[in-house]
Amino acid sequence: MQYFIEQVLNGLITGSIYALIAAGMTMIFGVLRAINFAHGEYYMIGTFAAWYAISQLGTGYATSIILGVLVAAAIAAFLGRFIMQRLIGAPFQSGVLATLGLSLILQNSVIFAFGGGYKVFPGGWLDPIEFAGMSLATQRVALIGVTLVVFGLLEWMVRRTHMGKSMRAVSQNIECCQVIGIDVEKVVRNTFILGTVLAALSGVLTGPINVSLYGGMGEAVTLKTFAVIVMGGMGNVRGTLFAGWLLGIVESFVAAYWGLQYRDAVGFGALILILMYRPSGLFSAQARY
Amino acid sequence: MAQQPARQFAHRRSRSALIIGVAMTVLSAALSAAEAPIKVGVIAPLSGVNSRYGAFATKGAQLAAKQINAAGGVLGRPVEVVLGDSQCVPAEGVSAAQRMINFEHIGMIIGDACSSVTMAMQPVVEDAGVLLLNAASSNPQITYKAGVGGYQWTFRNYPTDESRAAIALQYAVQKRGLTRFAVLAVDSDYGRGAIDFTRKYLKTLGATFTSEDYYKETETDFRPVLTKIKYSDAQAIITYGQADTTPIIARQMNESALGGKLPLIGNGEFTSPSTIAAAPKVLNGSVEVTAWLPEWQSAGSLQFVKDYQQAYGGEMPNVHAFFHWQTLHLLAEAMREAHSDEPAKVRDALAIIRYPSAMGEVVFDDHHQAVLPMALVEIENSKPVIKATMAPKIEYAAH
Repeated sequence: MQYFIEQVLNGLITGSIYALIAAGMTMIFGVLRAINFAHGEYYMIGTFAAWYAISQLGTGYATSIILGVLVAAAIAAFLGRFIMQRLIGAPFQSGVLATLGLSLILQNSVIFAFGGGYKVFPGGWLDPIEFAGMSLATQRVALIGVTLVVFGLLEWMVRRTHMGKSMRAVSQNIECCQVIGIDVEKVVRNTFILGTVLAALSGVLTGPINVSLYGGMGEAVTLKTFAVIVMGGMGNVRGTLFAGWLLGIVESFVAAYWGLQYRDAVGFGALILILMYRPSGLFSAQARY
Repeated sequence: MAQQPARQFAHRRSRSALIIGVAMTVLSAALSAAEAPIKVGVIAPLSGVNSRYGAFATKGAQLAAKQINAAGGVLGRPVEVVLGDSQCVPAEGVSAAQRMINFEHIGMIIGDACSSVTMAMQPVVEDAGVLLLNAASSNPQITYKAGVGGYQWTFRNYPTDESRAAIALQYAVQKRGLTRFAVLAVDSDYGRGAIDFTRKYLKTLGATFTSEDYYKETETDFRPVLTKIKYSDAQAIITYGQADTTPIIARQMNESALGGKLPLIGNGEFTSPSTIAAAPKVLNGSVEVTAWLPEWQSAGSLQFVKDYQQAYGGEMPNVHAFFHWQTLHLLAEAMREAHSDEPAKVRDALAIIRYPSAMGEVVFDDHHQAVLPMALVEIENSKPVIKATMAPKIEYAAH
């Protein structure tokens, strides 16, 4: 039984990482109707910025979290203004090409600046916490806590704040928003920054437990995120959290009972099944788009 | 009449101009041949998740080229290293080899670090009649299929995992008293090959595998598998993995409170200072069987470490740097003994060479496999300690 609980816990932690990244991607999809193929790159940039802050500037880990998020936000503000904002109302292909191109540019810029080899992430709260025969790095407990707080705040923002309501409005009908005077471009820019900040936050928080970082680390993350946002229902933020946890837990059991080599098959198998039988996602009553 | 001597003079002058012209052409051709560098291809993962191996391999080979050229080159000509990126992907390695063979007209290639790539390149060089001298892949099948086993153009100056698997398991069982092992290896020809050969010795040594897991090259989350191993009755983890993944596994073992309980046995650069620093508690007591390490106590090896550090700003070389350095020197020696850089003659010279290397004399067996020693290293107080060195002979018929 304890073994079972520990594997569920492992899955919840991995799922929280997926959910944090996927929340941003699903929000960006909501307002832009474009899949952000460069989303994993912001996860990578956040991790790299924190690594740079700790190993080159000598800051503490807590400061590096703030710096990592700020660097990603600054890059997102720039790219949002000059690239993402132009995708409003553009055909589907433009979004694919623009974000795929950005992904290559961001990846290779980092490789050019810091080299292609692996780096070891130096900081983090790695002391194990032991309870009920289980042992976890403090970092993992913090990760689950941060995920719950972030999703609570997102829920509040989407329901209660002006920005959240604008985001929901833009995701439902862009033309109507333009008619009644909502600044659609601003909403898209802000959503893009918020989404990338979440990806960067996830990167900085997982750096210490994933240990290594390299230029291409975002690619695998982007692919995994597709499965999560489709499972959660495209554009459904709350659904993303449950989809992330579900994927994390199932992956954890597959790795434990069948073997680590089969783990990645879960996400993509689920993606195929959901697209075939429930394309609106597991947690949405009807298709949003 | 007066015209005759003038015509004769003109005729003589044009003839001597022709002779001088021909002589100059021949001379310049001879001079350019004397100066034209001998190109040697080095194919290694220069980008992607295994780029660490490629970076070390390249630096090792380039250091050797520099040393060879400083000493007057080979056959009076300098050696030039031409790089190809395999990305540790078989298709990329094959296209890098084809580019070298067809466009650069290179007759000798050193490569690759990844077994899967080397195995894919073997038929390509065989068809082209180009020499492939491997310096870093350890899958046993590479030389099972070479020499009398088939491929005539493949040689390997690197020990195979067959010896490694046998030495590691024997030490773990007989000296450490461990018999139940969890397997956690990289999902590649290297990782799976090493485990297949470990399995071969399980029965005779009375050992068992409690679980078998293979990770993909980009894997970062080992918690579910480590939890499974924690609840099993495994006494140690056998791992044949990537140098860059070992610190991840070690750190996640540390947070799972497995440090000091389950030693790692196998190979994956456990002994490098940065890996040990990532989780010293986990790595103390771990056992690695390696083809080389900077602590190897021979004059040639220690001199290499010194030269390498001097050339690359104090960086500590790894096993790939050493073997690519040594292999280019070995190839240069084979060219000297063949008195030629023609691939066929160099190949014949390699088959019978007795090369005095920094690790002892290098000779190739009838499968073109160099008979090389391996070091068994145990980490004690966060320092690698060489416990034994062995150079077992491969019994090819057994597999």
